Amino acid sequence: MSGFAPAGDPVIPDYGQASDCVINNGFFCTDWFASQWSTVFWPPLVDHIYMVLIAVVVGFLIAFTAALIAYRKKWLAGPIGVAATFLYTLPPLALFQLLVPFTGLTLLTVEIALVCFTLVIIFQAVLAGLAAVPDDVKRSAVGMGLDTKQLMLKVELPLALPSIISGLRIATVLTVSVATIAAFVVDSGLGSPILKAVSSPFNTQFIAAGALAVLLAFVLDGLLVLIGRILTPWTRVRI
Amino acid sequence: MRTINRRTALSALGTLSAGAAAVALAGCTPPSAATVGKRKKDVRTITVGSKGFAESWIMGELYAQGLRALGYQVDLKTNVGSSDIISAALTSGQIDVYPEYTGVILVSFMGEESLMDSAEATYDLAGKWAKGNSIRMLKATPFENKNAIAVRREFADEHSLAKISDLQGIGDFLYSTYPDNVTGAQGYEGIVESYGLDNMELKTLSIGLNYQAIERGEIQAADVFTTDPQLLRSDLVVLDDDKKLFGFQNVVPLIRDDAYAAMDDDAPAFLDTLHSLLTLEAIQALNEASAINRIDAAQVAKVFLKDNGLM
Repeated sequence: MSGFAPAGDPVIPDYGQASDCVINNGFFCTDWFASQWSTVFWPPLVDHIYMVLIAVVVGFLIAFTAALIAYRKKWLAGPIGVAATFLYTLPPLALFQLLVPFTGLTLLTVEIALVCFTLVIIFQAVLAGLAAVPDDVKRSAVGMGLDTKQLMLKVELPLALPSIISGLRIATVLTVSVATIAAFVVDSGLGSPILKAVSSPFNTQFIAAGALAVLLAFVLDGLLVLIGRILTPWTRVRI
Repeated sequence: MRTINRRTALSALGTLSAGAAAVALAGCTPPSAATVGKRKKDVRTITVGSKGFAESWIMGELYAQGLRALGYQVDLKTNVGSSDIISAALTSGQIDVYPEYTGVILVSFMGEESLMDSAEATYDLAGKWAKGNSIRMLKATPFENKNAIAVRREFADEHSLAKISDLQGIGDFLYSTYPDNVTGAQGYEGIVESYGLDNMELKTLSIGLNYQAIERGEIQAADVFTTDPQLLRSDLVVLDDDKKLFGFQNVVPLIRDDAYAAMDDDAPAFLDTLHSLLTLEAIQALNEASAINRIDAAQVAKVFLKDNGLM
């Protein structure tokens, strides 16, 4: 029958012998983890970091701009807030699937969804930070001769920084976790080994990838705390 | 639908992140300038896709790495999803080629209620679907991966079982399948009805637990997949599906016509050669490396292609 490739004579490779831990799906096979680190874990970890960074940076730029506008034109704060909250309430998986027909099985799809989830957090954090700047501080700054732009750059934004940083921290930690769901769309990030190991099931891969995601969230959160401290030295000199 | 569910769920026996390795390997097989230079047609990137389970990830890697070795630019999208999702990706042009099972094409894409009674007829009918959807279908693998009923060897010897209909009238026995595969023409109920097996009692088990259960003797018969690597290790006998209930499931590459036109002759020739090498024994070994040794699908494919002189 022409539709069928005539059975050839394949060389069956010798793939070696797996350890007992791997064969019996032990709780955590260190040997396997060490040998597969460079192919199974490291590349997805790097991809994951990129995915999160792009989402948080883009999300910050959009939400920050929106918050500045809403701060100036108070009547816009409500509608923007509602729109951002709406995006936030969409289930991530549904949003990914919703976007696929338009943007395909691509990183763009993933980033659009991830950015959507950061918006409301960062927007509210920036707005709340700016709103919390005491009126008398602003009045005295104006009294010292600062114009609107100077007031924003030298007084309002610095005082709002702790709130902005805490918003960024929440958005980042959230994005690290939501980005694992991206594996349903692109075979990338730490969600990819998790997704595959859940269906297999293979404990070592599942646990290792999950632990890496947790670790990544802690590290990025720690970095933001550090950046926050460096940017707001005055918060520590206060006696 | 049944078959897809099963297959999707079977993602079982998964391996490591194929994608991870795809990323790692991307740089390992640079197309040699000489091969690329002699391509007469426009060099366009070929996007290879694979479905949501280990056997498909390995097939996708075999396609992608083999085509890369021929000098094609290949983008591999691993684990795209179930048959419905990946076929939509194919017809909409998000992917150019992926491995599909002939029986799945009939049941899921053509909505055929009854399956053909031979692998050739199944292939030919699937080919009609492909033609009608501007898709080129190349040669099928000698192996097929479909549902089957396996029993313990001693149980088979005791009752002289060779085919499923031999199970009739041997007294009550326990059969396991996964919870989603109870209803439907090819599920537990369908088997009982088609083969008249009122003596076959059901025990539902999550996928992957059936081999342990049958080895321990908790059940006498289990729903398996014919390419399951466990069949190499367990002392089981796969019963012949004498009423052709499960149909035929050989693997064919589905290629969009426009992608096919953009390829030189060496690409389809490679896929045909590759498929001719994928015997049941070969795919079971590949699945075993993936499911038992937990070797990354990309590595599994690479070793096979190298050992067989395809890269």
